[in-house]
Amino acid sequence: MTSDITRIGPPPSPGAGPVPPQGYEAMDDHELLRLHVAGNPDTFGYLVKRHRDRMWAVAIRTLGEPEEAADALQEAFISAFRRADSFRGDAKVTTWLHRIVVNACLDRIRRRQVRAADPLPEDEDRAAELAGPAEDDPAEVRERRLDVLNALKQINVDQRSALVLVDMEGYSIEEAAAILGCAPGTVKSRCARGRAKLLPLLRHWQTTRGGSADDVPAKARQTAPTAAATSSGTGGTE
Amino acid sequence: MTDAGLPTSEHLEHLDTDTIADLIENLLPAPEAHRAREHVKACPDCQQTYDALLQLTEDLADEGRTDIPMPADVAEHLNAVIASESVLRASTVGVHSLVQLREEPHRHLPKLLLAAAAVVVVAGAGVVGVVLATADHSTDGAAGIGSPTSVPSITTEQVGPDAQRWLEGAKGPILHGEAAEIDCARQFATTQPDSELQLVQPATVDGKRSTVIGLPGGSAGDVKVFVVTGCSGSGGPATPFYDTTVTLRNR
Ligand SMILES: [Zn+2]
Repeated sequence: MTSDITRIGPPPSPGAGPVPPQGYEAMDDHELLRLHVAGNPDTFGYLVKRHRDRMWAVAIRTLGEPEEAADALQEAFISAFRRADSFRGDAKVTTWLHRIVVNACLDRIRRRQVRAADPLPEDEDRAAELAGPAEDDPAEVRERRLDVLNALKQINVDQRSALVLVDMEGYSIEEAAAILGCAPGTVKSRCARGRAKLLPLLRHWQTTRGGSADDVPAKARQTAPTAAATSSGTGGTE
Repeated sequence: MTDAGLPTSEHLEHLDTDTIADLIENLLPAPEAHRAREHVKACPDCQQTYDALLQLTEDLADEGRTDIPMPADVAEHLNAVIASESVLRASTVGVHSLVQLREEPHRHLPKLLLAAAAVVVVAGAGVVGVVLATADHSTDGAAGIGSPTSVPSITTEQVGPDAQRWLEGAKGPILHGEAAEIDCARQFATTQPDSELQLVQPATVDGKRSTVIGLPGGSAGDVKVFVVTGCSGSGGPATPFYDTTVTLRNR
């Protein structure tokens, strides 16, 4: 090839140069992000890989729909990628990422509300898939996860966002109010009303707590998530 | 719970779940809160609901601490998006640093930006006078777009150089593909500062069926090249996943 090319091409760089992959795996979040800001093309991918399941949980709980959650996460990660230099080193990277994801989800909700209420189609297979690959977690964990996702989908988005932030993600009322752009009292009220709506949908959790769940055949319980709210929750018998 | 049983005394008229949830959050006005608290103490049913609500908050917190595995297809797509974002950043860095590169050849640039920087070298080829080995990617001067409906298979790194060659080899705009695909590109163009289509070319880019769209860039001879998905088959909307700018030497 033309020798010009080799002349123009940048020399191997000392700082952000090749690091063996296990080197990236071992680096902490701050270091990965610092290298990303310095121009390393790979380290952000490692950050994404490390935290995507956590962020997926936040997005799918807040938005309810996998397609929406996937889009929101994509926006969030691109946004984080581009403004990584605005990250303040004294915070935790996960706290920062988490906040970006939450905001991306809320943005989508607001846009969806503006677009009017066109209910998204239900997708049973997809819902089951969301509970995670079968081999990864015990059946009860998957089932419980799906129950919560289904129940959250049935309450209104304002109550759901407040509950996910406060009860599930552990934000304080004040933090949640700042994120949601409303008064702390509003957050409390949305949480209270959201819990009241969730309670009948998830009450079977509490009745099957403490071991009785083992007696119910797995197949019978699989059909239970929403039906259990109206039945006694002890499982169906044919 | 609230089984609307006949009130045998005013104290035994059950509280609804909302009221109990409000009580827990201290949202009730003082007199009402007092009455509600007294009722819960005296009524096993409402006490049970009260406890269940507290338990629910704990259960939600437990559940909130567990991650949910991202479905494989979502993760894969996300990886691809982040990877192209990296390439995009690299090429942008490259554009801005071309001059610096010449003046400051030892400027620090991450090694893996090399490939993307090469794209930019071609974009600026009129100045630098280098023709890259992009001929390897295609068999002839027509650069793999012989007929209006052919779909060349290229990588994102080739998008810039190929688009440049296609456009330099044509007298005017190139609008290839089915009408619906071109319409979709036209729709996409309206979201951009200058919507006059210079190039629409169906292509498989990094394995994804895509549409390469060229629009006038900032200055004369510049063409902003986008690679979008969504224009073939589904009829939109176009979702860009890569873009670059090329400078045509003959315009
Ligand atoms: Zn009562």
